Amino acid sequence: MGRPGLNRRQLITGLGGAAVAGSFGFAALGSGADALASSAATRVRYWNLFSGGDGYNMIAMLDVFRKEHPDIDVKDSTLQWGSPFYTKLAMAAAGNRAPDLGVMHLGRVTGFSPGRLLDSWDVGLLAKYGVKEADFNPALWKRAVIDGKLYALPLDIHVQLCFYRKDVLGRAGLLGDDGRIVPVTSPDEWFDVLRKAKKATKKGLQTIGMWASDQNFQWWFFVAFYTQLGGTWFDAANSDVTFDTDKATQVLEFMRRHITDGYSDPGFAGGAGAEQFVNGSPFCWEGNWSVPVFSGAKVEYGATPLPPVFGKPATHAESHAFVLPHQSGRGGDTNEGAHRLAAYVVRHAQQWAAGGHIPAYTPTLSTAAYQQLSPQNEYASAMDHQATEPKVWFAGSTGILAQRVGPIVVSSTLGSAKPEAAARGMKGMLTELLASKNPMDGRTAAQAGAAA
Amino acid sequence: MTTTTPQAVLAPARAKSAADSAPARRKQGLQHGGWFVAPFLVLFALFVIWPLLRGIYLSFTDANISGDGAGFIGLDNYREALHDQLMWDALGHSAYFTLLVVPCITVLAFLLAMLAHHIERAQWLWRLCFFIPFLLPSTVAGNLWQWLFNPGSGMVNHVFGLDTPWLTDKSYAMLAVVLTTLWWTVGFSFLLYLAALQGIPAHLYEAAKLDGANAWHRMVHITLPLLRNITGLVIALQILASLQVFDQAVVMQDFGPGPEGATRTFVQYTLEEGFTSYRVGYASAISIIFFVIIAAVALARMWLLRNREEGGR
Amino acid sequence: MTVDAAQTRIKSRTRTPWTPSQIVLTLIGVAVSAVFLAPLAWALFTSLKSETEAVEVPTHWLPEDWTGQAWKALFETGNITNWFVNSLVVSVCVTAVVLLVSALAGYGFARTEFRGKAFLMGVVMAGLMVSPAVLGVPLFTTVQQMGMVDTYWGMILPQCAPAAMVYILYKFFQSIPKELEEAAYIDGAGRWRVFFTIIVPLSRPSLSAVGIFTFIASWNNFLWPYMVTNNPDLMTMPNGIATVMNSYGIQWAQLMAGGLMAGLPLIIVFVFFQRQIVSGVAHTGLAGQ
Repeated sequence: MGRPGLNRRQLITGLGGAAVAGSFGFAALGSGADALASSAATRVRYWNLFSGGDGYNMIAMLDVFRKEHPDIDVKDSTLQWGSPFYTKLAMAAAGNRAPDLGVMHLGRVTGFSPGRLLDSWDVGLLAKYGVKEADFNPALWKRAVIDGKLYALPLDIHVQLCFYRKDVLGRAGLLGDDGRIVPVTSPDEWFDVLRKAKKATKKGLQTIGMWASDQNFQWWFFVAFYTQLGGTWFDAANSDVTFDTDKATQVLEFMRRHITDGYSDPGFAGGAGAEQFVNGSPFCWEGNWSVPVFSGAKVEYGATPLPPVFGKPATHAESHAFVLPHQSGRGGDTNEGAHRLAAYVVRHAQQWAAGGHIPAYTPTLSTAAYQQLSPQNEYASAMDHQATEPKVWFAGSTGILAQRVGPIVVSSTLGSAKPEAAARGMKGMLTELLASKNPMDGRTAAQAGAAA
Repeated sequence: MTTTTPQAVLAPARAKSAADSAPARRKQGLQHGGWFVAPFLVLFALFVIWPLLRGIYLSFTDANISGDGAGFIGLDNYREALHDQLMWDALGHSAYFTLLVVPCITVLAFLLAMLAHHIERAQWLWRLCFFIPFLLPSTVAGNLWQWLFNPGSGMVNHVFGLDTPWLTDKSYAMLAVVLTTLWWTVGFSFLLYLAALQGIPAHLYEAAKLDGANAWHRMVHITLPLLRNITGLVIALQILASLQVFDQAVVMQDFGPGPEGATRTFVQYTLEEGFTSYRVGYASAISIIFFVIIAAVALARMWLLRNREEGGR
Repeated sequence: MTVDAAQTRIKSRTRTPWTPSQIVLTLIGVAVSAVFLAPLAWALFTSLKSETEAVEVPTHWLPEDWTGQAWKALFETGNITNWFVNSLVVSVCVTAVVLLVSALAGYGFARTEFRGKAFLMGVVMAGLMVSPAVLGVPLFTTVQQMGMVDTYWGMILPQCAPAAMVYILYKFFQSIPKELEEAAYIDGAGRWRVFFTIIVPLSRPSLSAVGIFTFIASWNNFLWPYMVTNNPDLMTMPNGIATVMNSYGIQWAQLMAGGLMAGLPLIIVFVFFQRQIVSGVAHTGLAGQ
């Protein structure tokens, strides 16, 4: 390598000086490159957690909105799903640099300190843009109202599903006359189905992907089967744990058996389950958001709610909802733009349903277009059999409850803890959580319940 | 390791030299001295000292993320921490990571440096190859190895004909982070060793050669003793950085704690408590505990160095 | 040792013939290098596959259909260029501030007298143990109080107080012979003029070592920018790639392309300035000895 000559050194010094000056100028302006480039009158910053097929649909809907409303510049940002999203939203709201519009899971709203980290919706403004209470499932709307104010605008309901490949199940003789999977009503029947499907499966592929190492999925599946058994969590006043360890053990043993009987390979325990499904594995348990992924991969498949092996049908359900993260100066055009955008997306949820979700805006549900969607029409019944987490501050998608209890479920499924021991561990953790105080207001779940 | 910030990279060295060997007292220009250090001290006070004091204060409160309404609760946070199994687990994971990484990196860096030092051609090429991974951001290294360890279409299992659930089994998950870290950061210690090797005067070897010492003897009797200081430095830097591991672990597990929480590190746990559970007070308390641990390691090193000096090197 | 001495020694040795031991060592070197470079090659090949080919089982090294779709999509989805600019702005500012501030402070501690110097030096040494990894939560609440969450300054300033760099330069300034300064004092020059006209030019190697190291550390810094930026417009490369995924889920080809984009600038710089960077890293590291 040649020694830098004097000219080169001068050049570098000059360029370096220019870079330093430019950088400081840029930093002093204080906003990102993108903000400088924007020229529209109203800029709505919108954070969401939609990736995969959801992300695709959300962007398509935003593009249509942009075309129809050229005066509003929508700056959408997708953040990594899970805890980081909520952390960042909370931190942004606490630092008073929140986006104008955000998306949350409805179950998290209670613990997200409505009034402090969240601003309430202007119902009149929403009505102006065509969204009113009567258009929603009453129970769903009620979940979004806290202290008489609307803090979340529900977009959908999403559920955990059992995806199956019609080609493999056809070879195994497991499809009914309607081309759908034969009904299953008990654990024995279910494992019989798996046994037959396994025989029809190509070598090197597992029979079912069930996210065995993922604390969130395992927790959701547990909630579903535990609800099928009629299990409960807390008493009405949220002061006592009513968790039934016998029922929990039954569920944990059922989940564990998928691994011990060789239907689920711990090596493909995470997201690789979906890759296996695309490559020809007969089953996988996934959220309904995988519908567009599998459709896009041209897989011949169907999807039902998680099998009702314990009698009563129930599958885990959550809901995406629009929220207004707290801004001390909320109002004006930007706030109105946020209302307008949210209302638009909620009302045009037909496209959103293509992502596998069940729209919260009920007028969409009764359209012929929606009823023709497949496989959505196969699991629409899940609406009536929702298994949800208890309504306490530490619950909600990827919240503290899932973070603390989920790993216990995983340890049982993967075999490092016995199901009975895990069930006892879960009860202990639930007791501990119920006694703990919400750091945002210093109240336990029972105190919050009494106050509400 | 978790960070390449200078704080992590540079071990606290002998502070006493600051006072002892200070230059002779000067006659002129003394009054300007304070102005030279003022800009740094302002930044240092704002972003190092103040957060430390604030952390200590917050650790006695039940502050939450929104920043208002914090109440004084005495030692409750510390009392809770002592019985917090998750905290001890997280500390255990960071310690386990450190125990695996430090010896491996030290030995590997030494071997690579010996190799690069003794190949006579294309020195730049070996330096380039062994050091390049260190130039990648931690998150890129993490993503890359998450992909390499992918069970279905990843290269690691494919190349070695394995069937190992690297990322989804609790007994392998941390191992995967360790292997990633070795590949990513060994280049830094390698460079330190290489510089030290090149600093050994050639005449020492030539003299030994004349005395009939073979290559092995020359290594054992000349190279290794002369590398004692640099080895101490490498180990100290690696311990301090490894205890603070965070980036690779969270990226490889999609920001989760890994299977059954197997890769939840101490740093990750403090951030979870502070920013996911919104318990800023409690998070500050365990941060202070962590600070004490780090400081103890750093002070232990200083103490060892001083003892060695006094024992005459 | 001096780098130049090492360099000339290497150069003079490259003429030696191929002995059996050299052949064996070189072969080992090639094999080990291949192991080190293979992951990067794998990333490059993955980025040139289609997303479906990337996840195909069994996997294969070279793409069957070479395609630039991942790279095209990377630039079309927009954010990556923003992040690149942000990384550049943050790293350049951090490097400039650190160089200025720590050179002044190192000199102040090494060559000037003022009240409380020994005490302050002790405090600075203690500061070596504090990093965002250790005290992230209190540091965040501090920056939040200052209203700097989600600003460039919030990212930049907390990276600008590295006690380590002050210590390195302090050691260096101590090693400069005092006679050089004294001559200037006799000519009537003041402290500041001596510092800028005599000390700074003399310390160019040390300053560039500190600068290079600071730039690498800042460019690759993840934890602090991750904690302090919530607005994806303001994110740096490592942070953006890790947290804001493009809206189409984990797509390995794109993720690998983005990773290479983040790593490439430093790798290119390294190829061209290898000697300076190697001695810079070694120098800053060895100073802790």
